[in-house]
Amino acid sequence: MIAATPRWVIAATAIFLVAVGLYMLVPLLVVIASSFSTSAFLVFPPPGLSLRWYGEILGSDAYLNAGWTSLKLAMTTVVLSLALGTPAAIALSRFRFPGRSVIGSVFLSPLILPSLIFAIGLLIVFSRYASGPSFAGLVIGHTVITMPYVIRTVSANLADIDPHLDEAARVMGARWWQRYLLVILPQCRTGMAAGAFFAFNISFDDAVVALFMRAPNVETLPMRIYSTLEFSPDPSVAAVSTVMIVMTMVLVVLLNRVFGLSRIT
Amino acid sequence: MHQLSVRSVIKRFGDVTVLEDFDLDVAKGEFIALLGPSGCGKSTLLRIMAGLESLDSGAIDIAGRGVTDLAPENRNIALMFQSYALLPHMSALENVRFPLRMRSKLSREEQREKAHKALELVKLDHLADRYPRQMSGGQQQRVALARSIVAEPDLLLLDEPLSNLDAKLREGMQVELKRLHESLGLTTIFVTHDQSEALGLADRVILMNRGRIEQQGTPEEIYRRPRTVFAADFLGGANIVELDVAKSSRSWRGRFADGTEIPVASAPGLEPGKHKFMLRKEAIAFNPDKSMTAIVGTIETQNYLGSQTRSAIRAGGVELVAVTDSEKTVTKQRETRIGWRPEELVPLQM
Amino acid sequence: MSGDARRMGREPAILLAPGLFFLLLAFFFPAIQLLIQSFLTVGAEAGRLTMEHYAKIVVDDFYAGVALRTFRLALVITVLCLVIGFPLAVVISRAGKLLRTTLIVLLILPLMTSVVIRTFGWLVILGPGGVLSWSLQQLGLIDRSISLMHTETGIVIAMVQVLLPFLVLTTLGSLGQIPVSLEEASRVMGAGFFRSIRHVTLPLSVPGLASGSLLVFALSISSFITPSLVGGVRLQVMAGSIYQQMTGSFDWGFGAALSVVLLIATLALIIPYMVVTSRAGGKA
Repeated sequence: MIAATPRWVIAATAIFLVAVGLYMLVPLLVVIASSFSTSAFLVFPPPGLSLRWYGEILGSDAYLNAGWTSLKLAMTTVVLSLALGTPAAIALSRFRFPGRSVIGSVFLSPLILPSLIFAIGLLIVFSRYASGPSFAGLVIGHTVITMPYVIRTVSANLADIDPHLDEAARVMGARWWQRYLLVILPQCRTGMAAGAFFAFNISFDDAVVALFMRAPNVETLPMRIYSTLEFSPDPSVAAVSTVMIVMTMVLVVLLNRVFGLSRIT
Repeated sequence: MHQLSVRSVIKRFGDVTVLEDFDLDVAKGEFIALLGPSGCGKSTLLRIMAGLESLDSGAIDIAGRGVTDLAPENRNIALMFQSYALLPHMSALENVRFPLRMRSKLSREEQREKAHKALELVKLDHLADRYPRQMSGGQQQRVALARSIVAEPDLLLLDEPLSNLDAKLREGMQVELKRLHESLGLTTIFVTHDQSEALGLADRVILMNRGRIEQQGTPEEIYRRPRTVFAADFLGGANIVELDVAKSSRSWRGRFADGTEIPVASAPGLEPGKHKFMLRKEAIAFNPDKSMTAIVGTIETQNYLGSQTRSAIRAGGVELVAVTDSEKTVTKQRETRIGWRPEELVPLQM
Repeated sequence: MSGDARRMGREPAILLAPGLFFLLLAFFFPAIQLLIQSFLTVGAEAGRLTMEHYAKIVVDDFYAGVALRTFRLALVITVLCLVIGFPLAVVISRAGKLLRTTLIVLLILPLMTSVVIRTFGWLVILGPGGVLSWSLQQLGLIDRSISLMHTETGIVIAMVQVLLPFLVLTTLGSLGQIPVSLEEASRVMGAGFFRSIRHVTLPLSVPGLASGSLLVFALSISSFITPSLVGGVRLQVMAGSIYQQMTGSFDWGFGAALSVVLLIATLALIIPYMVVTSRAGGKA
């Protein structure tokens, strides 16, 4: 660090960081705080502390069903986007072939298109060519928006690894399936894990695609929270949200362990 | 008055002491080399002079002004980075003008003119509008050099100025640096780990070891009269021989490991007992004349280097390396007499 | 030997085929369907080609107003993200390991939390009797309860928090590529702290700032959850009306047309974004 940075610059920086930190965190903190309220209304400050809203959500079929749906949806999405994304990432980072960069951008294009627009297209397709939105439709929608993340993390992972390992395995007599099973896939492990975390997180949290692809009897947690907020928010929403925030924290910690947060930038 | 004085500077990184109570005075117009192996503290010292690194205690004065607590921008110095640190979004001319823009009150036109002159000095005025990425490494270095001298700094600091150049460019740049120093008279300090660079450029060489000055002096003093084993070894890897020294009647004699005895020139502080001496590789000659100290040795291997030949010779129970003019070298002869002028055997402190 | 060589060429094709096929069906096909839908009539004479939906956007004052509000809000949000995000990114790029990690977590944790939940937090803060109102009352700055719900200010406050991480993380990528020695050099050459940021750091982070703000702008015009919940029906934005057309009034043709307009606006931004990033990438 350069010597003699003016003292007031340091002070101003500290104030700025605290202000931005509060700005980023307070929305999450008030949700967590409200979930422990005794009041049936979202008032601040809460009149007293209780766990009654956690009891409430555990006794609510609507929330439990939504939670189960979200979990199933996220898990299926993870499996599908890993299955489709990992081979593509391997091809894009391990081989040189004509059109490689174009195909690369094709794979990343769902990142660029706002998910809103994609969701509308999907809704139109499912209404016209299938019997309307369904759980499968949600899985497909989420796989489209999560697959680019898998491709990114796996490619980043492969970029760090000696490309000659593959050739070495070949020289040592490995057949193609042995190369994939024993050399290439084990190298992709951390990238796949990180991609899986992203995919899970995005699918579990998504409201945009879910709201457009709303099907009868299929309701995810974010959908449920959104409709509650539109009409009659009470602290049970805060309790569900708190559970989801805690899940996100766990995912962030895991992601940092596996992949390193600095590499997300 | 000194142009730079470094007084009792101490710098630690955690538990590691990088500079230990360091003192240095530099006169106006001097050309100083800070020489030493990596980790000796020379780069840290340079960064402390520039104000890029803080110090734990001590003081720095530049041009008679206490700058210890001044930020780099308030010191009126120049530093040429090892990586050159040219601003990629500015042309060569804009890069050279930058210090003037920051420091001088000249008009834009005057600044441009001055920057142009600086580029002329390094013979790059024809590339003034090029961007750094459009230039070769050697050209980039010249821009960096022009940028360092343009604002007439009180102190010019160069960090490993020649290390990023290939051997041929390096030679040309040495000539250039020397010429610029002679014409501009800027007080200049440069850091290097290459002894030939230090000897070839500087008026005074400061040899550093573990955060201290090991020895300082003119290039010739440093080269010919190293005081310690470290100095002798760092400056060109001389032969270091250990002799058992004794005084017999008036003169000193030294005994090799195998018992061979030779006369040793008297020196202040020389005492009986085991003692290390330096013998430069070029000081050893074949077929010694009468004025030389002579012993018998066995040639073990020889490498032909062109105008010179390097021979490994077993003599006095130790291995000596000699570098001699090729035409004066004895070849294909196992046993031979070698010798050196008595003053070439330099006693070293431990 | 030749069989092996042939397999070398086939291998990437085999690896890519499933993913490409999936994207074609599940991503590009819906996008095209959306485009087609926007030119089709609905209702009794469904299926004929028409321009009526696009005409409605232009003619109907209400939707022109919605479009205007959408872009105005996005502009304000982007500028605020830049003003807060650039200094924040500079601080993060120079901070020590601990502070750096803390700040990145501070950005990533909200980023990875569902938008629905973050917006919920803002409802609790901005609403009548909410955290903001209560805090200001405690400080004695106001004497009556206030609410920023159903105001554009409220939308901006909430949206900047949602989108700020994108700008900071993108800019951080650019800043990371600036060698430390450049700033040191400018300090040694006499540029003070702020001049060194203005002449060295800022110009060199332009690619990151440009791509970050384009991204923020594009995300901002297409988001509907935060604006709908904070702004309510009165302060509709384009994405909100699309949601309403598609799921409430079922005027799909018009909804699709609105989406196509949004898509065109987004692409007009994204294409320069890709040019900027690929150029920056090519230089590195």
